[in-house]
Amino acid sequence: MDYTIWTIAPIVLLPFFAFVINAFIVKKFTKLAVAISCAAILGSFGFATRIFSDFVFGKYAEDYHIHKVFNWFDLSYGSQIFKLDMGIYIDNMSAVMLFMVTGVASLIHIFSTYYMAEDKRFGRFFVYMSLFTSAMLGLVLSDNLLSVFIFWELMGFCSYSLIGFYYEKEGAGNASMKAFMTTRVGDVFFLLGILAIWSVVGNVTFVDIYRAISDGSFNSLYALGIPLATFAGFSIFMGTIGKSAQFPLQVWLPDAMFGPTPCSALIHAATMVAAGVYLSLRMYPLMEIGHLTTMIAYIGGITAFGAATIALVQTDIKAVLAYSTISQLGYMVLGVGVGSYNAAFMHLITHAVFKACLFLSAGSVIHSLHDHHTHEHVQEMPRMGGLRHKMPFTFWAMMFCTLAIAGVPFFSGFVSKDRILGDALLMALANKTYIVPMVLGFGGALLTAFYMFRMMFLTFFGEPRDKDLYDHTKKEKFSLNRNFPLLLLSVFTLGVFFSGSLTGQGFIKVASEKRYEWFKVLITKPKVEKFASYERQPWGHTDIKSNFQLSEAKYDYNYGLSAKEAHHIHHWHLIGALISIFIAFSGIFIAYMMYIKKAWNPGWWVSMFTRWYRALQNRYYFDDFYIGGLIKKGLLPFNNLLAFIDMGLYDRYAIDGWEKVNRAFYTVSGWFDNIFVDTIAVDGTGASVRLFNVVLRMIQSGKIQLYFMIIVFTLVGFIWTL
Amino acid sequence: MHGSSHLLNWILWMPFIGVLGNLLIPGSKKNAIRYWSLINTAITFILTLVLYKNFDTSVAGMQEAYNFSIPWIKQFNIFYTVGVDGISLPMIILTGLLFFLCILSSWTVEKSVKGYFSLFLFLQASVFGVFLSLDFFLFYVFWEVMLIPMFFLIGIWGGENKEYAAVKFFLYTFFGSILMLVGMVALYYAKGKGVDAFNILALSGGQFTDLKLSMFGSEFSFDKLFFVFMFIGFAIKVPVFPFHTWLPHAHVQAPTAVSVILAGVLLKMGTYGFLRIAYPIFPSASVYFADAIAWLGLVNVIYGAFCAMAQTDVKKLVAYSSVSHMGFVMLGLAAMTTQGMNGAVLQMFNHGTSTAMMFLLIGILYERSHHRYIVRPDGSKGFGGLYTQLPKFSIVFIIAMFASMGLPGLSGFISEALIFLGIYERYTTITVLALIGLLLGAAYLLWMFKRMFFGDVIEECKSYTDMNAREIAYMLPLCVAVIVFGIYPAPILNMMKASVGSLVKLLGTY
Repeated sequence: MDYTIWTIAPIVLLPFFAFVINAFIVKKFTKLAVAISCAAILGSFGFATRIFSDFVFGKYAEDYHIHKVFNWFDLSYGSQIFKLDMGIYIDNMSAVMLFMVTGVASLIHIFSTYYMAEDKRFGRFFVYMSLFTSAMLGLVLSDNLLSVFIFWELMGFCSYSLIGFYYEKEGAGNASMKAFMTTRVGDVFFLLGILAIWSVVGNVTFVDIYRAISDGSFNSLYALGIPLATFAGFSIFMGTIGKSAQFPLQVWLPDAMFGPTPCSALIHAATMVAAGVYLSLRMYPLMEIGHLTTMIAYIGGITAFGAATIALVQTDIKAVLAYSTISQLGYMVLGVGVGSYNAAFMHLITHAVFKACLFLSAGSVIHSLHDHHTHEHVQEMPRMGGLRHKMPFTFWAMMFCTLAIAGVPFFSGFVSKDRILGDALLMALANKTYIVPMVLGFGGALLTAFYMFRMMFLTFFGEPRDKDLYDHTKKEKFSLNRNFPLLLLSVFTLGVFFSGSLTGQGFIKVASEKRYEWFKVLITKPKVEKFASYERQPWGHTDIKSNFQLSEAKYDYNYGLSAKEAHHIHHWHLIGALISIFIAFSGIFIAYMMYIKKAWNPGWWVSMFTRWYRALQNRYYFDDFYIGGLIKKGLLPFNNLLAFIDMGLYDRYAIDGWEKVNRAFYTVSGWFDNIFVDTIAVDGTGASVRLFNVVLRMIQSGKIQLYFMIIVFTLVGFIWTL
Repeated sequence: MHGSSHLLNWILWMPFIGVLGNLLIPGSKKNAIRYWSLINTAITFILTLVLYKNFDTSVAGMQEAYNFSIPWIKQFNIFYTVGVDGISLPMIILTGLLFFLCILSSWTVEKSVKGYFSLFLFLQASVFGVFLSLDFFLFYVFWEVMLIPMFFLIGIWGGENKEYAAVKFFLYTFFGSILMLVGMVALYYAKGKGVDAFNILALSGGQFTDLKLSMFGSEFSFDKLFFVFMFIGFAIKVPVFPFHTWLPHAHVQAPTAVSVILAGVLLKMGTYGFLRIAYPIFPSASVYFADAIAWLGLVNVIYGAFCAMAQTDVKKLVAYSSVSHMGFVMLGLAAMTTQGMNGAVLQMFNHGTSTAMMFLLIGILYERSHHRYIVRPDGSKGFGGLYTQLPKFSIVFIIAMFASMGLPGLSGFISEALIFLGIYERYTTITVLALIGLLLGAAYLLWMFKRMFFGDVIEECKSYTDMNAREIAYMLPLCVAVIVFGIYPAPILNMMKASVGSLVKLLGTY
């Protein structure tokens, strides 16, 4: 069967409709709502599996893709053309992503039915989970940056809701707001990048961006004095920094642990944080022509190492995992920066699997540890210990994942991380500026092995430190919704599923045919040249897969390199692998000496480096700087000042001041009117008449004597004047 | 120019029928007055939907079938001319919808019910008059008449400082109107006092571009001078910085429904004035002043957002957020590109729905709390734990809040994205700065939400009851509108795109 819309769209639509339905029925029919959510994600897993198996096992050509477009809205009028198209774009990378996201999300859904069952907002949790998953799947299927942005923000909203899930807690409010606002900083840049690309390309479809890059449309264009490719690439990479919690916007992720643990697994392993790296991989050609790879490598290296150092001192089991997530994301970004495209993506996938499993295992541990005094679940490692006897399944699942993340050979983390580090080593040899990120990468690997095993030892080994808590903990019995997801995920921490050979270095091959190294063959940097003359396909067009099948003979086992180059690379990867193996085992050894043998005292390190210890505990003072400094000392006083100027000064004096001016005018004019016009002119006229009147009345008194006197005086006067 | 239909007359005069009906009902029969007003606005809203259904989206100009014109004051060539095109139609539908919902939300008004509802319907008629008039004089009359019901609605049914706010609102708007009046008379004489001297369509098209005007012994460019006059008149209504300070006072003092109408509809009259009068009549001056409009829009966006963040009164916060959001409309208008202008008109509609939701919700809350402090003057919490106490209310509030801050999937996003796409090509710097507004927009809303809704329920909030059926009934249509037009904006964009496109084309020739 070939692809039409109805075999692709359900991947997104099933969870979305589950969300819509559940939003209305969740109150009354909680169980049904949960069932609908789980069924929907399993259904979309089915559809995704089909695509995955077609792309990976169906011998699709390495550069094949499906692209279908429909019109969202059209503002064209006459000669002014403005259309906004949305579409579906699937290539090998999205096919792998789809399979991973749906698979991991399904398992998380199943686990949540165990973890959240006693929660009073059991159903509501699944409402958000469905929306979240569908947003992530929509992002993966997107064919353009704008729809990536839309789903990206929707995930931001879902993570806001999930982090603030326990809204009775004041802290949940702070954490959710912090997560949303911090990622929003990156998102705003991302939007700016979209605008910048739009101004060159005319839309933001991936294929058109690739075409524009291959045409050289970005050359000699500037925005605000910066080369446009750099400007746009940097802005988009800022989106990655925000969403994937890279330095310096990493602050939100540890706080995000306020949410229920399964949602941590979803947000911090399989979906949201991976979306950031996915975006920078998609936009890799732009980063390349924008000369941003060095910066990206530095960001990745700093994040990978810095977060690992903070993880050293955490005592909360989820906090350790949170910082390890940041650190591992740093490795992915480092991989992008050193041009290790394939390995960066592979690490995204392997990390999604083992980190989801780690979070779920942590959830399983936390859920079992119930403090009878405070009625809260315990997350603090100092109160654990010896738990491997109580919960063997969880222990083994977590152990496998820890081996994977620590970079022990045969496990997936080793395969992917080691290839990133190998490429970093190669880059450092070729270009000295890459030495720092390379060293940070290797250093971080040491720390990772150490803190992960520290966590394992503190949690599962040794004597129980809180005897009361330990005794009240029930022994784990195998239950399907609790242990099945954990164990299934832990199986996939084996490197062989990803590399085709046990180590990824080609030492021990389980399959003779190199095409079993499906990951290496299928995931390649986007070749922008092939989009030079590209034609879109509208909806309804059916993809005929036989047209695009590539005969096996055409596979290029050296990935476009000459035999000599390939040998050189292989050589240095080998050295890199040996170094990482050594580093991983040293980290484990140190942890073993400190926490099992107790031969080395961690307290000694604390007292030796007190200042560093405090800095680590305070997360290098980033929160103090952002919240205490920038926001509390900068933004809020500035707001208050502006608000005061607005109402207290501008409105009061410049606007209401006119009333005073007016009053002055009307006082003067009133006075003028009163005194001059009214009193003097008008009343004066009256008064003068009255005066005349009085005089006349006095004269016309009717007394004959007076008349006689007047006559006499007049005569006298008359004579006098003569 | 008579069309075949009297529909516009019906829409315009239906609220007056409502007023007359109210006057005939004895004041003691409060419910009769309420139901009569509700039925009246419902009919009006249905009429606007009929208009939408029969609207021909391919026509850029006025819809021939609905044009209606008869002489009013023959001696001065003043006509009663009404018509509808793609720019006014979204506003007419918005007006119909919001007044209908506001009647429902005003159900709890007890103080002289008869006067309140009569004035409210009177207000609706005058708003329709503004959006439907094609005769400048008629437009002006409705523009001014609108002040009368507003003045009394704020001055009588307002909060503790209502007289001050009412007078301020009145005088401020009146000041702008006078400038507009001068411009109108100048146009009348420039057009030679002929039969079409007040006809907005006849005045449009840029015929005054080269006209000069002698005044005070020097020569002025006619169109630039009177564009500025018109600009100030409309800018006060929008409100554009620095003419914005009446807005927080009016909003805070006005009763809920009046705030909704003020933010949802009346502010749009200002930007509608640009689209209907200032831009088409003075296109060259509009292009000339585009930079200034863009910068003022930017100031609106940023300044409004900063001021909003400092507010401790919820209603004032939302009032300032209106200042910020209307700044986006101004940016879209300044862009003068297809995307930008369409985005601006869409933003006018979307801001109408989302901000109406915010004000309605605050009204609902106020009916329970009788105060609006996020933080009281003494520093204690005004609200706390509302999420736990009022779950339904909280969900609606979240929808309104995220729509207001432009979350994708809700209506605000598409209009803001279009505006940004429109303005980026012309003003990159302004775009970069305006994006800060997006960031701040999320910040003040989320901060407010966090302070009011998260945490433990504080003592005085424990008596609050969740939304009742009537309240849900009038919030629901807005929720639906915000979500549906966020996912599928084409219905609104289709009706406006031809009209907006022809305006963009006109501006493009200068």
